[in-house]
Amino acid sequence: MNSETVIRFENVTKEYKLYKNNKKRFLAIFSKKVKYKKKLAVNDVSFTIKRGEAVALFGKNGAGKSTILKMITGVTYPTSGEIEVSGRVSALLELTAGFDPELTGRENIYLKGQLYGLKDSEIAELEDEIVAFAEIDEYIDQPVRSYSSGMKARLGFAVSVNIRPEILIVDEALSVGDKNFRKKCLKKINGIIENDNVTLLFVTHSIGTAREFCNRGMVMVKGKKVFDGDIDEAIEIYNK
Amino acid sequence: MDTLKTIINEHIEWKNQIIKLAKADIIKTYSGAALGWVWALVRPTILIFVFWFAFTYGIRSGGGVEGYPFALWMIPGFMAWFFMNDMLTQGASAMRKYRYLITKMKFPVSTIPTFVGLSKLFVHLCLMVIVALIFIVTRHFPDVYWIQLLFYILIMFLFFTAWALFASLLGAMSNDFINLVKSITTAIFWLSGIMWDVNTIEIPWLQKVLYFNPVTYIATGYRNCFIYKVWFWEEPLQLFIFIGLLIVMFLLALWSYKKLIKEIPDVL
Repeated sequence: MNSETVIRFENVTKEYKLYKNNKKRFLAIFSKKVKYKKKLAVNDVSFTIKRGEAVALFGKNGAGKSTILKMITGVTYPTSGEIEVSGRVSALLELTAGFDPELTGRENIYLKGQLYGLKDSEIAELEDEIVAFAEIDEYIDQPVRSYSSGMKARLGFAVSVNIRPEILIVDEALSVGDKNFRKKCLKKINGIIENDNVTLLFVTHSIGTAREFCNRGMVMVKGKKVFDGDIDEAIEIYNK
Repeated sequence: MDTLKTIINEHIEWKNQIIKLAKADIIKTYSGAALGWVWALVRPTILIFVFWFAFTYGIRSGGGVEGYPFALWMIPGFMAWFFMNDMLTQGASAMRKYRYLITKMKFPVSTIPTFVGLSKLFVHLCLMVIVALIFIVTRHFPDVYWIQLLFYILIMFLFFTAWALFASLLGAMSNDFINLVKSITTAIFWLSGIMWDVNTIEIPWLQKVLYFNPVTYIATGYRNCFIYKVWFWEEPLQLFIFIGLLIVMFLLALWSYKKLIKEIPDVL
């Protein structure tokens, strides 16, 4: 693998097995005879992304964008094909961003940091910045379950961009929060792309934001990659 | 074999995080309550008292065993059961409880039952200190047999962590499995000789059958330390059967891991 290549997909296919009900799925563990429907979420997709690139991923709902992001994150496995990812991936998948609802915001910051392999002293350094960025003030010592969805998203975003990621994945998370916070996020993303040579993967329906950051766009239709190249062309194809 | 290697590697690589998550699991279980983790001790204490009362004064079977009052005889096995009970039910739902670790980030799934088990083990160790105090206060002082408690705690932890890996994978696939486990747990409790002395069974084959019950083996083991004063190698047949069951449990855990690990994130 080229040292500059951070993400490589080769003929990646992801198939979900859909069973009629829970019982059938459970029986399928023990028997191969149980019938299920196949749903192709990602169909034979290949691409490479180099360090420092900012790529926007376009596609209608169900086009397979989220599945691709999940596979990059390592959360879910491809049915066939090969995936190589090098570097610390920080992913903002959905709003809750993987917080433990019973722990406080502060405890979650530490837990998250530890899970990403940071030392406690490193997290302590980042803590104030994260709390300030998330704008949740005194709520930081309350359990996350008492947070509003906006607060969760803000905290999730603050943690994800501040733990010094090498690959940042942002999935729709910017669609919440008010205008000011959105602006702040965009500025922060811009900052880390320029300064730290972070690779960005961006899923959005908002064409404006995509154009602002990304110079490359990929368009997905029904699990297939139909376009990969210049951002303006990608937007054109996506809008059709 | 490769599966075993993967699991062991994941545990070594993530050992610090496993400890941190076990701590967080304890904090979490008892946060939001003013008395906090004291509740972990209050519940077993009340239950022991209730059972002791019922069996000493109510059902009147409490004649004492080996010169020990029934309550004292009951406590060690009952404490072991508390751990086993938690592992049976909460072990089976561990992956559902921690689904955010599976579906929202890259995390070594095989370590989830381990840190849940460690969290329960910590509570169990605290309870065992209390048990030791009860024995000392009632003038049954520590002797060399108490040392083998470490052996029984270790094998109990191993067995039920393997169980938790197996069961939590199946439990993640289907809620029915969790419900099944919950409903047979009470049955296991009454069938395993936690509340009554297995040695009093007068039907030889039934007693033999109970040798195959790991819960009985461990509860009896705890009593071997405190009451019967028997070393674990003095009952080789039971020991070998338990080790056999332990291996079977590990194989089941490996089988389910290999089979289901790639499906779990899509199901949860």
